Amino acid sequence: MVDSNSSHNRRTYLKTVGALGAVGTTGLAGCTRLGMGGGGGGDSTITVAATVPESGRFSSLGTDVKRGYELGVSKMNEQLDQEVELLIQDDESSADVVRQNLQQMVSNNDVDMIWGSFSSLLVTAGSAFAENNDLPFLGAFFAYEQPHRNEGYEWTYSPFPKSRDVARSTKGLLELIPEGERPTNVGIWEPNTGWGSEQADAWEETLSGAGYDIVLRETFQIGSEDFSTLISQSDSADVEILLSNPSPPGGITSVNQMQSNNWTPKVLKYVRGADPSAWWSALGEKGAYACMCPGWVPGLTGGGNDQMRSAYEEEYGLDEGQLINTAVGGAYNVAQVASQTVQAADSTDPSDLQSALRSESFETVIGSFSFENNGLPAEGELTAPTGQWWNGNQHTVFPDVDGEAAIDFKYPIPAWGER
Amino acid sequence: MVATDLVFESLLNGLLLGGIYAVAALGLSLVFGIMDIVNLAHGHMLMVGAYVSILLFTATGITPLVGMVLAAVVLFGFGMLLQRFVLKNVVGEGIEQPIIVLFGLALVLQSLGRIVLGSDAQAADIGIPGDAIAIGSATLSFPRMVTFVVALVLILGTWAFLKYTTTGLAIRATAQSTSAAQYMGIDTDNIYVLTLGIGTALAGAAGALLSMLFPITPFVGWSYLLKAFAVVVLGGVGSVAGTLVGGLILGVSENVGVLWLGGGFRDIISFSIFLGVLLIRPQGLFGNSGGGE
Repeated sequence: MVDSNSSHNRRTYLKTVGALGAVGTTGLAGCTRLGMGGGGGGDSTITVAATVPESGRFSSLGTDVKRGYELGVSKMNEQLDQEVELLIQDDESSADVVRQNLQQMVSNNDVDMIWGSFSSLLVTAGSAFAENNDLPFLGAFFAYEQPHRNEGYEWTYSPFPKSRDVARSTKGLLELIPEGERPTNVGIWEPNTGWGSEQADAWEETLSGAGYDIVLRETFQIGSEDFSTLISQSDSADVEILLSNPSPPGGITSVNQMQSNNWTPKVLKYVRGADPSAWWSALGEKGAYACMCPGWVPGLTGGGNDQMRSAYEEEYGLDEGQLINTAVGGAYNVAQVASQTVQAADSTDPSDLQSALRSESFETVIGSFSFENNGLPAEGELTAPTGQWWNGNQHTVFPDVDGEAAIDFKYPIPAWGER
Repeated sequence: MVATDLVFESLLNGLLLGGIYAVAALGLSLVFGIMDIVNLAHGHMLMVGAYVSILLFTATGITPLVGMVLAAVVLFGFGMLLQRFVLKNVVGEGIEQPIIVLFGLALVLQSLGRIVLGSDAQAADIGIPGDAIAIGSATLSFPRMVTFVVALVLILGTWAFLKYTTTGLAIRATAQSTSAAQYMGIDTDNIYVLTLGIGTALAGAAGALLSMLFPITPFVGWSYLLKAFAVVVLGGVGSVAGTLVGGLILGVSENVGVLWLGGGFRDIISFSIFLGVLLIRPQGLFGNSGGGE
């Protein structure tokens, strides 16, 4: 009912709603009190705790990450004297749930090692927990370098290409285009996150140093659903090479909006945004030509790639012409690092594992590398392979390799009306 | 210096987006203006409408424009039942009780959405062939043009209903004074049931329209509620015209503002406007005129 004192009532409403809205939007987030970890499990079993995003915004990758871990653990059980037990829970793509799940698993089990989830958001949540509990932590799908440098990491190791590697790989990808046809105008859509800024800086520094023009660098809110302004700005700035690292499903949304606004770049590279298989299931042919840097792509050889492919085919099967989704390889590589660490340490004591991680060189499906003390892969040792969506698969386009999983880099992306 | 062409295109895109904002806020504005209830579950009702439309589209391939009708019908029934069996017990019992009940309902709808449909983002395609539309130097999205036109039709239809029908007159009378309306023989209990039904139906329709443009998850309710709330405060509670103008101002401000400030400022722009209006003109640009002025 609206009465004469309604304006006063409404102001009271607004205050109440504001307070409730703030509570609602923060999801009543609570603090997780970190107890003493239960590290250093018995010698008979190696217990690994992991969370994967089986639901939420990263869920389209959860299944693949889980499969990679499970295949990797099967291999570990063949290679190691002790039995390896993998505890795995759905983190719902939420950093809070990562912490809660790890707390629960570590409290109830003698956990020796933690494996991360997907994305900087979730992996850093897991690594913070591991650092507080003095447990070795391995995190892939985590290109963000700054936490390694700023957080005083002692237990976190990331066997995965980092922002600097992604930038170098982008330059390599573009050099596959004959010089006379090579586009020069680069546009960067920068998510307003720490990694967004770091990756944009790396791209700008690497590509401007190589003679490309950075004609656009614009920020957008992570989780944004409206890309129309960015598309207009890119069109106006004559962007030919579009680079970004949007979180799923932002990349999918943006491509739909590019189509409805009738604009497309000549090269599109979405790090993490175009990683999931949902890219193709949601976009179909609209998603063709998009490139990604998922850490592992199906055309790579050596480092256990053949064994992984065989194990995958045996366990899950592959249809004619179907390739393994990229997240499987990144996750399998984590298990390989864990296996080689345990073998080198000849122990499951956290300190021994930490020493092995710091001193050993590793050979996995993503390449050969060692770690710096802060957990970064040693500078220059890892190549960030680039995949490109084509006929429903992520094919290797950089480095330029041969094989059924590799294709020549498809360039340029045709206008929407010509597809 | 931002190019004039870019400003023009962003302005038009902002108008299209603003139309969607307006229809998303209209139900909230009506319920607030007529019943003095802040429907904290409005965003989640919008989410339910979106899912009705998405599920129909997924199952049958029918365009969400048809799904919108079903979503509106489903939510209309839901709103009427909600008022008749739940809210009528707390309306008039003070400011807090309806807010707490609707806040709880929002959490229930969000949890149900997550459990029943999962938390993956889902969307529907407009399902109508059409190319981008050129207006001068600007290129506009066909789906956005369609949804904008439908949003305008919904807003104008609501306005006409309140302005020119006997029921609309009864609703406006109830909004102005419940006791006077009762003296005139209006069954205000039924008016409240109908009003909440219309408000939630509009939320359902808005959700169906949004599902054609943006991905929907069970968690979108809060963000759309806040956006809708900003529109209502900007335009004025209970004012249909104010809601439309408020939505358009918000859409244009966001889209043009980010050209200078950067995309990271999109929400800061909209909520700064929200706070500014609250401080300078708490009754909103169009004040309160009881709906359907």
